[in-house]
Formats: sequence, C-alpha cells, structure tokens
Amino acid sequence: MEIDVRRLQEIVGEEDVRDNAADLYVYGSDASVHEANPSVVVRPETVEEVQAIVRYANAQLVPVIARGAGSGASGQAVPIDGGIVMDFKRMNRIKAIRPRDVLCKVEPGVVCDDLNRALQPHGLWFPSAPESGRIATIGGTIANNGSGVRAIKYGTMRDYVLGMKVVLANGDMVTLGADTRAQASGYQLDRLMVGSEGTLGLIVEATLLLRPLPRFKAMGMAKFSELEDAGETISDIVASEVTPSLLELVDDIAITALNKTLNMNLPQVEAIVVYECDGRMKEAVDYDMATIKEICEKNNAFGVEMGSDPKEMERIYSGRKKLFAALSRYREGLVCTSLADDMAVPSSKIAECARKIHEIGERNRVVMNAYGHCGIGLLHTKILMEATRKEQWEDARRAVDEVYEYVRSVGGTTSGEHGIALSKAPAWKKEKADSLQMMKAIKAALDPNNILNPHKLMDAPDDWVTATKLRYPVKL
Amino acid sequence: MTTEKARVPGRAMPLGARKPLVDPREIEFSRLKKWASELNLCIRCGYCYEHCPLYRASSWEIDTPRGRLLLAYGLLTGEVEPSPYVAEKMFECFYCGNCSRSCSAKVSPTDIFTDARADLLDSGYAGEGTTARNDEKLCMACGRCVSACKAQALTLDMGSMRVAVDRVKCKGCGVCVVECPVGAMSQRAGFGVTREELSAAVQSYLRGINGSPKVVVFCCSWSMTPGLQLSRMESAGAVNASGVIVSVCSGRVDPGLILDAFHQGAWGVMIACCPLDECEHDGNYRARERCVSVGRLLDVLGFQAERLRLEHFATGEVQKLKNAVKSFAGEMASLGPI
Repeated sequence: MEIDVRRLQEIVGEEDVRDNAADLYVYGSDASVHEANPSVVVRPETVEEVQAIVRYANAQLVPVIARGAGSGASGQAVPIDGGIVMDFKRMNRIKAIRPRDVLCKVEPGVVCDDLNRALQPHGLWFPSAPESGRIATIGGTIANNGSGVRAIKYGTMRDYVLGMKVVLANGDMVTLGADTRAQASGYQLDRLMVGSEGTLGLIVEATLLLRPLPRFKAMGMAKFSELEDAGETISDIVASEVTPSLLELVDDIAITALNKTLNMNLPQVEAIVVYECDGRMKEAVDYDMATIKEICEKNNAFGVEMGSDPKEMERIYSGRKKLFAALSRYREGLVCTSLADDMAVPSSKIAECARKIHEIGERNRVVMNAYGHCGIGLLHTKILMEATRKEQWEDARRAVDEVYEYVRSVGGTTSGEHGIALSKAPAWKKEKADSLQMMKAIKAALDPNNILNPHKLMDAPDDWVTATKLRYPVKL
Repeated sequence: MTTEKARVPGRAMPLGARKPLVDPREIEFSRLKKWASELNLCIRCGYCYEHCPLYRASSWEIDTPRGRLLLAYGLLTGEVEPSPYVAEKMFECFYCGNCSRSCSAKVSPTDIFTDARADLLDSGYAGEGTTARNDEKLCMACGRCVSACKAQALTLDMGSMRVAVDRVKCKGCGVCVVECPVGAMSQRAGFGVTREELSAAVQSYLRGINGSPKVVVFCCSWSMTPGLQLSRMESAGAVNASGVIVSVCSGRVDPGLILDAFHQGAWGVMIACCPLDECEHDGNYRARERCVSVGRLLDVLGFQAERLRLEHFATGEVQKLKNAVKSFAGEMASLGPI
C-alpha cells in the first residue's frame, strides 16, 4: 500500500498531515484492548477536503478510518489494515441552532457536551450525549448509535438524527433525511448510517432533533442487600406507568472500586439503584419520584435517598460518572478491560443477567461486574484481569463467549451502545447470522473497493483476541 | 527573541556539555520502568483531553495526557523509538495537573512524564518543549528568575555567571519569562501562552466583538475556562463571547499585557487566578502586585482603577468564575469604554 503523503498535504495543507512514527502510534489506539498503527493521519477542515482525500484513497485502494475522539471501546477507530486515519476534530463547528425548528446542524467533530453548553442559553438540549460526552464527538456517537444514561426516557442517537450529509466511498456527497421530524416512505438511508461504524460513508454534517431543557429534576438512590431485588426493582419500574429520565444499576464490585478510588463511602451492599425523574412541574416530578420509591421499598430497598438540589444530585450521581475508570483500581494486579461491555437484554431479565455475569466471571477466573443503563435493558460489565498473563486472555475469551451465549438465549443483543468493531464482532456475527449476507451486500454496493473502515463488523476477524496486537505487554 | 537552543541540557551535567545520544535499543528507562503497571491501569478513555491546555491549542492527540502516556508506554515496550521529536513531545506540559485530578483511574500522568523526561535526558534526548530557555547573550545573570522559580529549576553558576535550566524540574509556568528584566528568558510558542500569543488572542477577541462591554479575562488553566472546550460556533463573534483567555498561570500576565489590552480597546480586564495559598508558582501573588501597581497607574492616568480586577477561584469553580465574569461585564457596561 503506497500512500503519497505529499498528495494529502496538497489537499489539507502540510500542517494537517502527520506520518511520523510517534503520532501514528498514538493514533493506533482507542479505549479498547486493540492496537494497530495507521499509515498516515489527516485532519480535514472542509467537506471538499474530505471528498478529495476519499477520492484519492478510493483510486489507490487505501483504507480510510474515520476518527472522532478515539474514545470507542471496541476498536472502531483502530486501523486494522493501516491506511489513512481521518481525524475529524477540526470539523468542529456548530453551524446552526434553530430553536423554532427545534433542531441544530453540526459538523462531526463537535463534542457532545459542548453542543449542550451551546444549546443551554436557548433552553434546549441534546439528551443523547453518552457518558463520555465530555470528549465523544457527534460523528462518533452517530456512527456507534450511542445512547447515554437518559435513553430510557429520551431514546438513543437513532431517535435524534433527522438527516445528515455523507461523503461516500467514491467521494460523492449525498444529503440524507430532511429538516423535518415526519419523513415517510423510501429507504431510511440516514438511519442506515447510524451505527454503521464508518463502514458505509463519512458523516460530514448532522441535523439533530433537540428537546426543551426540563425545568425540574430530582434524583434518588436506593440500596439493596440482594442483587436480585435491585434487578426486580428495575424491571418493575420499567413496566410501571412512570418513565424515569435515568435508571442505573451499580453492583457490589463497582461499589468497592468507587469507595477505594474516590473515597465515596458508599455502603458495601450488593447493589445500588440510581434514578432520576424530570419534567415541567415540580409536583409531577415529586409524584413520579414517590412512585419509584414505593417500588424500590416493595422490593426490599433500604436507605432510599432523594434530592432535587443540584449539589445533592451531583453527589448521588458522581460515582456512576467516574465508574469506568475507577474499576481499574478494584484490586491490585488487575486491569479494567472493555470486553463484553454493553450487552442488552429484555428488561425482565436484568437481575438474571447481572447474576450470570458474576457467575461467568468467577468460573473463568476473572472479575466481572454489572452496572449500567438498565432502564433500557443495557448492562455494562468490564473484565478485570491480569492482562500481562497469557492464560487470562484464554479465560477472558471463554467468559466473553459464555456471556454472549446467555444474552442470545434470552433474545438480547451483543451491543447496546458501544458498538461492535473488533472486540464484539465474533459474538455479533453469531447473533446476526441470517442477516450478515444482507449487510455484506449493502457494504459492497456502497463501498465496492472496501476502503471505509475495512474488516470491522461483519468483516472483522473471527477471534477478537488475535484480531490485532493487544494494548497490553503480553505475548500470546 | 532568540531561537538558539539553551546550551545546558539538564541536571547533573557540567554546563555547556551535551550527552552523547545513546543507542535507542540500549536505553534502560530505569525511572519509567516503575510506572509499567500504572500505564496498564490507564484505560485510555481520553477523559483527560478536555482538561489539557496543550490539546486545546493544538487538537492533535499526541498533545494530550493520553497521547504522552501512550508514548511513555511505547518507549517502555520498544514500540516507540526515542527520537528528538518524541523527546520534544515529552517535554511539552504545563504541569497544571488537571489530567491527574480528573483521572478516575487515579493515574498521575505528570509524575510519569517527569520520569520519562529524566530518562530521555540521561540518554541524550533533550527536548525543549514548554520549558524555559535562557538567551545567554542577553542574560545579565541578575538572578531574578532564579529566585522567582518555585520549582527550583533555575540555578545561577557564579563561576561562569550563567543561568542553567533544569528541564526535568521546569514546569513551564512562565513566571521567569515575565520576571526577566531584559527578555533573556523565553518559551517556545505554539500553545497560546507566550506573551506574543496572549497579546494576539486579546487583539483577535477585541476586534471580533462589537458593542457589548469589551471585557478581557486572563484565566489560569487551574480554574478551567467556562464555555465551549473543544468545539466552535460558526459565527466568529460567538467563539469567545466572554473574552476568556487562558494564560495557564496568572504569573504570566505582565503589566505590559494588561496595559496593551486597554490600549487595544478593552473596557475592563480581569485576572482570574488561584486562591492565594494554592498557586504552585506563586503566580497569583505576582498578579496581585501587578494589579495594585497597574491600578495606581490607571488612577494617575485618570481612568477608574476598578477597570482592573483580580479574582481568586479554586480548581473547578467554573460557575463562580462565570458569575464573576458576568457581574464584572455588567459593571464595565455601566462604566462604558475608556
């Protein structure tokens, strides 16, 4: 694969092309266990530059891998075949905020939390920002169909994309969707791009639906001695007439990690459920909060705390926000890896799934915990393991297989929000076995030369452990 | 300003000497080694990005704490070969510590960078990065920079009458640059905090704003800026509506810069710095002294001294900063332009 760096420099300018070994090494990683260096990194600033780069790559049969913040947990932005990493962070303009149309138009490199900062003076927000919204870009969030903690009430990224401009593999730009909420027949091509992980086209602009900022919010936290009770509570709340704006589970392993890293002084119980309600009227919010409290207590919750003061809510929620990284400190010698980390199951199966995760971890000599946006059936886990020991990767491989076997058996899905890419591809291919050919046909029609993020999703290697070099110093 | 590199590459070396480059494969990284397991604990989430003043200026991922941790990891595993470029990157950090404070995995990037710097320096890979450099042709060896440096990174050799910069200890605060009476101390440009870059930022802000009170706020990066961190509004005027300019440390804001802001049309200037006992570089004490003397000067010139304001903010007091900027802008609106 020959890449003419000078040609790329002509397109975006010398300053925005890097091909030295150190920069390439940095751009070879994300938050996953995978690592593979690109051949060159380019930072376009305009649609025309993106088109010119893609035309060049398509003619030379060079892979193009879109990259937002590089915060993906499954290896979406890891260039498994090398090639051009297209860093979209310079295309970071909020182009229009149209309160009367309740929409905004943004470039793909806009950071989710920044968008919300810009919307706030208009009394609007974009509720689908993921927990990593402080760095995650809109482009990456769309390409992963991210959701975040408020999906239970406000839906996932898919529900907020009204339209987008996309550069296709041949360099042409197409405008998909419209500036309206009502869009009837025809193939929903904008939706096709949501969750496509950069394999079908490069999103260069997105039109997003907005929501009015809720006037009142309150947050609660309930403790449980039994994980099953917490799971039942979540299932009961989801099936009730109340729709909280947030419903999260935190298990005992997560509690230990939080207490250890952040001195949070949480009670060492089997599970904590955190919930939030929001709305236009304080009375309505209070009424919903009281209903949820009743459901919690019916399922043996104790020490239910509630608050509507922003500081109090921040205190209740701060632990959950920092959990991902805090798990690194659960036990000396173990590291926190993003594996099997975001499965979703029908909401009545939350408790069973959480218990299964613990059992599977124990059986395979790794630590696995359960937490996450259980209101939408989504459970996060992390595999805490000795990453420098070869045998632990065998253990992790088995644990991942067993978790997904269970998830499939109850009608769940491999990834609820973090995406498939490399780490989850083997399980996902099993889940989607009868539609893989359909997806391959779509990919071949839109990207006949297979240049856009190749060898991800249905084309990813069958073994995630050996798909790329691992980011840890271990010889397999 | 000179572009000549400082002759003294670092600690424990005779002045003027330069260590021979060690074959990259032979370098032991004895200090960095002890961080091997910590580097595995970094989950590479990238949550440190939004806090890093270097990244805000460059938006290249190598200029993030995660990027430099990756380099440190690569140096240890042999995946990254030491080079003058890698050394340059490793010596780029203002040690504001925002990354360490924000890391939920409790990894301390700045401690790791310091050891990587020392190892690289020992092997002859001396990056300049954001550290101070001294132009010996201009230096009068007065020693003001030495006594101003809280990191004890500067030493005056009485024999040769030269000031040496310990690049491992230097935290890039820039206080010595402002203290030097003859302009011998300097720092490389590129991250928006040199005198020239700050002045250009003031100019660009004041030119872009029409009507409303023209308030310039020099804000140290410890307090964190409000508003958009990593994105831009399409209309240029909205990029920086509050005129907040990050100076990394308030000790960098010299009287000339303040007067320059007024000269360029600012109605008011606010310096947002750490609470008095909390600045690592004592930059806030210097800022306070400068505010008093420039305030007197404003009075003498017939302008209201309240057009210059010093406020203290602890780490993370973003809302307090926002409120203070808003109320200061309100006061300046009633005073009108100079």
